[in-house]
Amino acid sequence: MSSFDLERLMNKWLNAEEFYVVGKRIERADTLDKALGKAKFIEDYYTNDMLFIKQVTSRYPHARIASIDESEAKKVRGFVANFTARNIPGENQVGYSLPDQPLLAERKVRYVGEPVSLVVARDFEAAIEAANQIKISYEPLPHILDPLEAKSRVDVLIHEEAGSNIAFRTKARKGDVEKGFSESHVVIENVYRTSQQDHVYLETEAAIAIPGLEGKLTILSPSQHPHLTQRIVSRVLGLPASSIRVVVPYLGGGFGGKDDEGPLISAKAALVAYLTGRPAFIEYSREESFAIHPKREATVIRYKSGADTDGRLKAIEVEIVHDTGAYANRGPFILWRATMHASGPYFVPNAKVDGYCIYTNKVYQGSFRGFGNPSVQFAAESQMDLLAEKLGMDPLDIRLKNILTPGSTTITGQVLDTSVGVKEALESVASKAGWRDKWKTYSTYNGRFRKGIGIGVAWHGISTSRGVPDWSAGTVKIEPDGSVSVLVGIVEIGQGSPTSSHRQIVAEVLGAPLDMVHVYFGTTDAPDTGATHASRGTGVGAIGVYVASIELRERLNSFAAKLLNTEPEDVVIHDGIVSSRRDPSKSIGWKEFIKKAYNSGVNTTASGYFFLPKGKFDDEAGQGFAYISYSYMVVISEVEVDTETGIIKVLRVYPAISAGKIINPIQVEGQIEGGFVQGMGLALMEELKFNEKGEIMNRDLTDYVIPTSLDAPEIEKPIFIEDRFKYGPLGAKGVGEMALIPAPASIANAVSHAIGKRVTELALTPEKVLKLLEKG
Amino acid sequence: MYYRLPQFEYLRPNDLHQALETIREGDWKPLAGGTDLLLDMKNGRQSPKKIIDISRLSELRYVRTNDSRVLIGGGSRLQELLENVIVKEKLPLLSSAIYEMASWQIRNIATIAGNLCNASPAADSAPPLLVHGARVKLISSSGSRTVPLSEFFLGPRKTVLSNNELMGEIDVPLLEGYYYRYYKIGRRHAFTLSVVSMAIAVKIENGIFSDVRIAMGSVAPKPVRALNVEKELIGKEAKTVEITKAIDLVSEDISPISDVRASAEYRMKVTKFLLKESLQESLKYFWK
Ligand SMILES: Cc1cc2nc3c(=O)[nH]c(=O)nc-3n(C[C@H](O)[C@H](O)[C@H](O)COP(=O)(O)OP(=O)(O)OC[C@H]3O[C@@H](n4cnc5c(N)ncnc54)[C@H](O)[C@@H]3O)c2cc1C
Repeated sequence: MSSFDLERLMNKWLNAEEFYVVGKRIERADTLDKALGKAKFIEDYYTNDMLFIKQVTSRYPHARIASIDESEAKKVRGFVANFTARNIPGENQVGYSLPDQPLLAERKVRYVGEPVSLVVARDFEAAIEAANQIKISYEPLPHILDPLEAKSRVDVLIHEEAGSNIAFRTKARKGDVEKGFSESHVVIENVYRTSQQDHVYLETEAAIAIPGLEGKLTILSPSQHPHLTQRIVSRVLGLPASSIRVVVPYLGGGFGGKDDEGPLISAKAALVAYLTGRPAFIEYSREESFAIHPKREATVIRYKSGADTDGRLKAIEVEIVHDTGAYANRGPFILWRATMHASGPYFVPNAKVDGYCIYTNKVYQGSFRGFGNPSVQFAAESQMDLLAEKLGMDPLDIRLKNILTPGSTTITGQVLDTSVGVKEALESVASKAGWRDKWKTYSTYNGRFRKGIGIGVAWHGISTSRGVPDWSAGTVKIEPDGSVSVLVGIVEIGQGSPTSSHRQIVAEVLGAPLDMVHVYFGTTDAPDTGATHASRGTGVGAIGVYVASIELRERLNSFAAKLLNTEPEDVVIHDGIVSSRRDPSKSIGWKEFIKKAYNSGVNTTASGYFFLPKGKFDDEAGQGFAYISYSYMVVISEVEVDTETGIIKVLRVYPAISAGKIINPIQVEGQIEGGFVQGMGLALMEELKFNEKGEIMNRDLTDYVIPTSLDAPEIEKPIFIEDRFKYGPLGAKGVGEMALIPAPASIANAVSHAIGKRVTELALTPEKVLKLLEKG
Repeated sequence: MYYRLPQFEYLRPNDLHQALETIREGDWKPLAGGTDLLLDMKNGRQSPKKIIDISRLSELRYVRTNDSRVLIGGGSRLQELLENVIVKEKLPLLSSAIYEMASWQIRNIATIAGNLCNASPAADSAPPLLVHGARVKLISSSGSRTVPLSEFFLGPRKTVLSNNELMGEIDVPLLEGYYYRYYKIGRRHAFTLSVVSMAIAVKIENGIFSDVRIAMGSVAPKPVRALNVEKELIGKEAKTVEITKAIDLVSEDISPISDVRASAEYRMKVTKFLLKESLQESLKYFWK
């Protein structure tokens, strides 16, 4: 199909108005297996002929490795081997954005918990015992834990080759901020801080590597991107990618954490399988998971904003510092995203934003739902409330005055097209929440229990940033019996995109009965569909199968036209009934139709591919194309604060989302509820505590607390503003991260409203609430 | 699966008699629900060489009552106690405390003696039992002795229990005509260890505090009674001024520390507030 034809056909489907499965509350294909406990996760595939791997990790935040002595470990019965950086046949370098990170520490360790060697034994008891017997001697080096200190020091370098502890810098520029502030009637400046967050997926990281299966090294992997894992394993082992097969079974959550750790744990298992020629199994305990895998970055954000007497934003000046820990990993991309979203979803004529990604000797940071955006939206949205307060305005009004609309220009000078539904989302959810009344009434409460209401509005660019290539691919194959096999690299990580939205899109476009559509997901046997991250599982991830289905449907229409003696445009295929619009009396059933197609030389397989058109960004000027489109989210939270104990209860939440076409409302509701509650954890209780060695003190679920169902508020049914996106499957954008992003902002604003003191630091524990209340 | 339990000898006796005979000699560690012990063994905090599994000793699972007391078998599961009508009606403080402990899954295997013998400063069943002046019966093959619960705890993870003894029973004297209040402040609304817990029972007669019993968890090396506050109030007029005066004395009863869960300062502040609120409410309760 030519690209012209493709765009024309995508447009036809984009404007479709009637659907029989899309937009419906369809049950996902994996529900029953999961409810019955039949669904298998990685650990369930363990068999006792597999070698067991246990990692030996650093006890020092910063030290040179002097020697590794395995003589005692060798005496442990069942010990097989101890593999270090020296045993890696390919490259040890696995840094995601910068070449700064080894798979296994080499010469130096940079955080407590950094993997140094892999002890391999016949069973896990022996592996644990032998790992305890590995003696590593270190020469300690001075270490730095505070990012602001690290930023200014050059006497202690975490990565000597970098010449400083600044791993990466970003900037965005627009207009003249000095002029903007001089034209401002009010100027507000504050410093905001947020803490590290752990993903706490139910299933900790685990991987199985099996050598020689059909001549391939096969990995059961906890990855969010099977093809990335294939690439990294291939590099570490020095083998061609085509000799490595990655299969991602059901995963017990990822939230970005397995996007980073998935490839690395897979490489560890693969390395052992490759070197020993035997199947190998590795699984992190909860404590290891806490100690080793990358976290959401801690941030320090200095934010200055100015507005005129009408509340129109005139300028913002923002400095964002991300504590990236020991390695850059995806830090530069995370910082980039934070920088480009620093204004919040508002029009700002003058902007100066600078970002710094700083190395420290702590566990490194990485992808986490929201990807640098929740902290900066928290800062931006707090500033909006403060400006409103100084101007004597309702916080809703100041937002509506500045909100982005189709045709608005962002702080990087990009003009937004049509898919910008945030204003409508904000207006409708504010009215549903009864905002104006509650805002006034709650302000008058002053007993022990105070109530507050707060808005959080957020935007989130979909797909990769700038010109970073992003595409979608997938294969759709109609079997002779009429059932449909769909092959995608998107993984099933709890979110349900391959088991619900992909099936719905394929069924809708082909006209096939939904229960005949089966998706093979999460495998390198499928074309590279890209990662299951960045809210892209459906919005971008399903474009490939969408396009493949469109192409197949064209073929089916032509064939059906012949059978029904009509024109292809006239063919209707609806839930397995093939008929002619002109003469509905003529029809044929799906199974028979496909049988005929097979016997008449119709090609029933199609591979879909779509490369998202991108623009250019000028790093020097801090200007240009940032993202192809944005999803928008509004949440309004109501809280109650006990001013005696400092305990906060989030009572009720009103969400609205503009994420294009909603393919499956149940799945979206699930993402909104889960995303909000995870954001509430970040806002209220989740924080890693480090001791003076940079070691995580609360590295278990006794002392790292996340919200339970009894902490969760009433979350109202979301309002959907279906601002269709022209390249998304049937106009869908992204949903997965959205509710988390404005959650901390809305809660912090609600608490500030309740207690009359401005919250600038998360996690907002009861202690911090009491301290705020004591402030004069 | 991936935590290694150290090697140990394991024995599961058929009855209490056999159990007591076994532990007469040698260093046996009782295993009840294992919800404290197994965790400690997995992370290496404890490594007993000999384990005696007492989880199936039916002789230790009962709740009995007469006019003046409730007798609870040490092997009773927390969930059993929560669902028990005697406990619900006669020991509302204990019932409230158990309701907020752990989760349904854990409560179904965790025992009350395990909670007490583990001697965590945060043991949630302790404050209500201390308020009642409960006594624990420690049994061995040569007989038994009864110790007030307040003397049972020596410090974090330390008790007066000897190697050859089991906690057989908890003897809880009933209180009549009291105002009760139980609090558990944690870091979230459910399924969390206490940052401060408090059980309180107050009796006011003729406008006088005739009895005040306050016990707290997580604010000292062991669960404690606030004896100084109690003493200050008993015999005084049931009035706000007296309450205000007494509350400050709590700093002599408790010695909170700062840890990853909360700061000492926060624990002290909240303790004082909870005391104020509950004592204040007791005035209203008796005034009606
Ligand atoms: C997820 C989780 C949540 C929890 N939440 C709470 C909570 O909210 N509040 C709280 O207080 N605790 C909590 N706990 C701790 C624990 O569940 C309780 O302390 C429980 O009551 C321990 O009972 P057990 O039967 O499991 O004890 P075990 O672990 O079997 O034993 C604990 C100790 O007591 C000894 N012991 C047990 N029975 C006897 C006996 N009859 N005689 C002599 N010694 C004995 C054992 O030798 C051991 O030293 C939690 C634990 C978990 C895992």
